[in-house]
Amino acid sequence: MSETQHQPLRIVITGASDGLGYHLARNYAAHGHDVLTTGSRQINDERLYFDQAGIAYVRADQSEPQRAAGRIDEALDRLGWDRLDLVLLNAGVGWSGDPAEEKPDSVAWQVAVNLGAPVAIAHRLSSRLFAAEGKLVLIGSTAAASGNARFATYAATKAALDAFARALREEWAGRAQVLMLHPGPIRTDMHAKAGLKLGLVRRFFMTPERVARAVAMAVRKGEAKRMITRAYGWRSLLSRPREGQL
Amino acid sequence: MRALVTGASHGLGRALTQSLLDDGHEVVAVDIDTAPLDALIAESRGACKARLADLASESSVQRLLDVLTDQTFDLVILNAGISATGRFEDIPQSAYERLIAVNLTAPITLASQLVGQNAMAARSTIVFVSSLSHAVGYPGAAVYAATKSGLALYAKGVRRPFAKRGVRVLTVFPGPIRTDHAERHAPPGAKANRRMAPDKLAGLILKAVRRRKRELYPGMGAAMAKLFGNLAPNAATRAMRKAIFDKLDGPVW
Repeated sequence: MSETQHQPLRIVITGASDGLGYHLARNYAAHGHDVLTTGSRQINDERLYFDQAGIAYVRADQSEPQRAAGRIDEALDRLGWDRLDLVLLNAGVGWSGDPAEEKPDSVAWQVAVNLGAPVAIAHRLSSRLFAAEGKLVLIGSTAAASGNARFATYAATKAALDAFARALREEWAGRAQVLMLHPGPIRTDMHAKAGLKLGLVRRFFMTPERVARAVAMAVRKGEAKRMITRAYGWRSLLSRPREGQL
Repeated sequence: MRALVTGASHGLGRALTQSLLDDGHEVVAVDIDTAPLDALIAESRGACKARLADLASESSVQRLLDVLTDQTFDLVILNAGISATGRFEDIPQSAYERLIAVNLTAPITLASQLVGQNAMAARSTIVFVSSLSHAVGYPGAAVYAATKSGLALYAKGVRRPFAKRGVRVLTVFPGPIRTDHAERHAPPGAKANRRMAPDKLAGLILKAVRRRKRELYPGMGAAMAKLFGNLAPNAATRAMRKAIFDKLDGPVW
């Protein structure tokens, strides 16, 4: 277990109460790292919920970006983490339907959770990231590249993250790395929550476990921008299982 | 023809309003402060109406929509935008909330509600004003760049569903414009005469609307920058960093 002989890394993962974030948190914690996770739901017993030691959780609803960033900041103060090796901003929400029928609340909600909150959290945690010359990882979507008629606002927020990462990567050069990872559709309940019935198509989506593994590989390799495709997922299976390292 | 222009009091919005009035159209001019339009409105003999709205405020946008959806528009130009320049971490978070609300949430909300509530005439056009930063990146204005790329991809996404309802979409990607706004956010010593005059840009946009174009990179400079950004995205963003970010004096929002 050479991984655990390393100094444990300090990691923040948003949107970790299920899906990709949940699996990433468990993977990193299983390699002996300290992980602070966030989500919008109440979790009373982290040890039981994640079935894994080394994971702390703070409730931070990203529909209020400033407040969510503040909650994470306070949790880090309580933990005494003044250096962060990895901040993985994964939380995201989507609404699906005819864009002419999208309600203003839905637009505001997606923009807040998917863009406003990552901006607020990156802003709030920047000095802790600089202290460790850490990595900021933004989770986008392959929809960001092409736009999407049924997920118009969702795709817009993910494209916005991409442009944010592109600029910030240059600004932070030499102080912290900025990684932009765009997974394809994942077999989580996000599509159901967005009001989309997928049926058999869903079977072709990558599982969150597989995507988590591919994301960990991309993080380890410091990929500035990467589409997390099925092929990349297969490649991550062949890689040496060192995903606990950064 | 009846047009709606947001951010109509200054810069490009004002030039668009003026140009539309000159061509004999009706204009509903939206801004947070419409006093600068007073003379123009008086001259227009009723063709130009001002509507006050703070696009950073959800309730203000809602009140604006309540007024607007009583009529139909042949042309809607979602031009209003603000910026925040400097090192990302040096700009206060409150400025980012406002920036995202005005540049992204407001135009998406206005577009979807105007189309959804049948306030767009048959064969009408919505114009989204994005930015050349979508092609080249913009270190020194990371959140501004985020909102403008977000808008570009929203426009791309809604093109087909809006077309089914008879609404065309044009996305404009202007480079630097010769306005007070650009002056405030440009690095010291940047040459104003290399920025496009707002009335020239307004002319190009209205021509693109008439020609039913989907995208407009106005002027030779923007076209070249787009090419550079497509061929060598990383080099383009590094060049932007050297040209802008490394020269910025301090944060401006």
